[in-house]
Amino acid sequence: MTTTHEASTGRRTADLSALDGLISHTTVQGIPALHAPHPGDITAGLFFRVGRADETLATSGVTHLVEHLALHRLSLSDVHHNGATANTYTLFHVTGDESEVVAYLNGVCAALRDLPLDRLETEKEILRTEAASRAHGPNHQMALWRYGAQGFGLAGYDELGTRRLTADQVRHWAETRFTRDNAVLWITSDRLPDGLDLTLPTGSRNPTPTATDALPVTPAYIRGGDGHVVFDAVLRRSSAASVFADVLGRALFQDLRQEGGYSYTADADYTPRDADFATLRAYADALPEKQDAVVGGFVDTLARLRAGRIEQAELDSVRGKLLKRYDTPDLSAALLPSYALNLLLGHEILSPEQHKAELRAVTVADLHEVAREAWDGGLLQVPTRGADWAGFTPAPNYSPSAVTGTRHPSLESDDVTLVIGADGVSLLLPGGPVTVRYDACAAMTTRPDGARDLTGLDGFRVAVEPTMFRDVGAERIAALDAAVPAAVVVPLPARAPERIPHPRVPEAPVPQARPADAGDTAPSGLRSLPVWFLLLVALEVVFALGFLFAVVQATDPAHPVWHWLARAVVPAALASYFTFRAYQYAREHG
Amino acid sequence: MSSITTSEGSDRHGGRPADPSEPVTDPFDALPELAPLRTAAQAGDWAATEAFFGGLDSVGKVSFAAAALADLADLAGTEGYLEKAAETLLGDPLPRTLLAERYIRIGWKIRSGARAEYVSRDQFDQFHAWLRKAEHLLIEVCAEQPAYGPAWIPRLLTARGLELGQSEARRRYDRLSAHHPHQLRAQSQLLQQLSPKWSGSFEAMHDFAQECVSAASDGSPAGILIAEAHIEHWGQLSDVAGTEYLRNVSVRNELRHAAEVSVLHTDSRPDWHRLAGHSTFALAFSLGGHLKDAAPHFAALGNTASESQWRYLGDWKGRYATYRTAALATLRGGDGR
Repeated sequence: MTTTHEASTGRRTADLSALDGLISHTTVQGIPALHAPHPGDITAGLFFRVGRADETLATSGVTHLVEHLALHRLSLSDVHHNGATANTYTLFHVTGDESEVVAYLNGVCAALRDLPLDRLETEKEILRTEAASRAHGPNHQMALWRYGAQGFGLAGYDELGTRRLTADQVRHWAETRFTRDNAVLWITSDRLPDGLDLTLPTGSRNPTPTATDALPVTPAYIRGGDGHVVFDAVLRRSSAASVFADVLGRALFQDLRQEGGYSYTADADYTPRDADFATLRAYADALPEKQDAVVGGFVDTLARLRAGRIEQAELDSVRGKLLKRYDTPDLSAALLPSYALNLLLGHEILSPEQHKAELRAVTVADLHEVAREAWDGGLLQVPTRGADWAGFTPAPNYSPSAVTGTRHPSLESDDVTLVIGADGVSLLLPGGPVTVRYDACAAMTTRPDGARDLTGLDGFRVAVEPTMFRDVGAERIAALDAAVPAAVVVPLPARAPERIPHPRVPEAPVPQARPADAGDTAPSGLRSLPVWFLLLVALEVVFALGFLFAVVQATDPAHPVWHWLARAVVPAALASYFTFRAYQYAREHG
Repeated sequence: MSSITTSEGSDRHGGRPADPSEPVTDPFDALPELAPLRTAAQAGDWAATEAFFGGLDSVGKVSFAAAALADLADLAGTEGYLEKAAETLLGDPLPRTLLAERYIRIGWKIRSGARAEYVSRDQFDQFHAWLRKAEHLLIEVCAEQPAYGPAWIPRLLTARGLELGQSEARRRYDRLSAHHPHQLRAQSQLLQQLSPKWSGSFEAMHDFAQECVSAASDGSPAGILIAEAHIEHWGQLSDVAGTEYLRNVSVRNELRHAAEVSVLHTDSRPDWHRLAGHSTFALAFSLGGHLKDAAPHFAALGNTASESQWRYLGDWKGRYATYRTAALATLRGGDGR
């Protein structure tokens, strides 16, 4: 089977001839518009070619903010409408009668022309709350390990921009990205409704960002939480690749759920990433006691498909399902959103007949080739200790090199040293260095207490906590602040005192290199004391209680022996003194 | 008690006894049918090797012979001709399976049979590297031919050595059993996995052995697993407790019953497992002081033996001779119990 892949840029004059007789196309105030009739309510969507992947870590969330601000003034309580910010696009969509749809679309564009920036701080707060309540899915780490802290990797990070974006930055983003030349409209109607006013500034169609690569060797693996196995791969967009995703999902379900009974969920999906590539993602859950078998079965299923052992029946059944999607009334209207998105991203526009022909042409050999491509570029997340036994290389935990500069030994661990240099910071760990160079710094958050947290474009992260390393004074922090480009600095509010970390007794875990959210660690009082000391105190308490008990037993109204207690004063004082000394020793020596 | 962390096979040199009173332990000598395989391997002759395996009529035999080939200790470079065959015969599962078995054996030899605490970091690294090499081949073979039993069986060894977990070992066993149930070598490997030293439990180990026997027909070798489980159990107790354990009447009765339904059963066929089977029963009965019960097993072994379980004993050959003499004496009317 052949699929033509054109470059994602330079496709402004997209060929819409494949849609003739199916979908009408025109322009509204310079915005390309696709429309096709559908009985009942009208649904419309306004796409913009801007999303999270266009942001930087320091401005992350700016698109989402614009989307929220654009919808703020709309008070169409009975109308179904919403906005969505994805990696490469933002969508405003609505369902209602003609006047409601017109009111919504006009309102969105009016707001985009003149954002209610007086709402900025409130909307930032809302986004932060939204983020805090949004649980990280089991696969949230995949993007940052594959792409780093930039472009498509930003999907794995918090929206740091909600901390620092100014009204001017947000306005500028709206003016340059939410333009008529960077939009596509679709609407389920045989004609464009009267009264539309979609006036937007002129601009240009933004090409999708170039994918970055944070994985030097693939197939690679990372460690993830208990109970989840995730695999992802980037595939060239093709009908064969989309069929393959379904074949893989079904094979995993068959193997892990139906045959093995190790998993409840086992599935795979295929999501276009940009004009040329799509993300394949497969997932299986596992009971803790079965997760070793889930990893093993997952690897064997991938290996089977990679070996080309794909049954014709597997292909036929998935193909049948995909072809069936075209047997729907009002097919044209149903296809509008995906055509609009392809037009926006610059992906080839094929008619349903052409699509079906492509699907019919997919062979087992095509799937075999996709399977090899998926395996070769794959990233596997396992809950177990590793997947090197299956031929996967660990994703890098350390940077290729360290910087030189002032050295600050950890106050917790003898074999950890922080280096603050002229070019960057490094954390020297027993296994290797973790480095963030200032010229490749995606963001540095700052706290009033002096803490600085640097994330490199490659996703590596170094937390400079002045309380945790020797001699990290105000002067070193000032040097850092002077060296890091102001555009990536994100000030965070003061922390509660108990959130500021303090050195713990040795055996504290070695700081983790990558994951985005390494929580601050507050030491707990008892846990920092050695067992022998706790036993000593316990023993003393037992003796004291025993003595008291004996006195109470021996005492009766006729013969009180309370004076016996006086005999305990000296031993008790001595015991208290030595216990205190032991406590001091324990604190100092761990 | 000697440590008993083990793969299969051993570190023997030759196996042909220098002293005629010693038993023949090399399977290539003890089982004459295997001899052509040794000749083929010594000559690095793939065609003859392939012909030998082509003549075997069961997965169990293929797997047994693959293990024996991997274990040809006096032949350092067996992997050389196997590698060549694996490269040339791309779609053929046999050369890759035999090569993987050999890699596993090389790795386990580096690790040695010692308890984990006596194995150095470097030994472990090399051990794991060899097992990974083997596992990569076996993943490929099982992916291409999921019903090819001889490749699933060594995956139980790689799963254990690479510590892939109980549920993964069980999955592999189940995958094999779906196509080829009652594979003694696989059962014996899973039994190891289920033992406490590989983070299983005595209960799981004994239950599994019983389960295998219940599912098998009379005369099948599955009963050997009961003896293996009791020897594993003995090996993990102190000297005194271990001897007590095997002296126990209920353990003896279980062993007797297991022997009766397996290697001593009239339907038992003289297959390659009999060597290890009789040796294991002979050991279990001897250690428990049940010499009369041990006697028929020593008698069946003649001048052959499998050292797989016996080498748990220090100076096992000396003790073998002593037990054997004492046990055989009971056949002549003495009371050995």
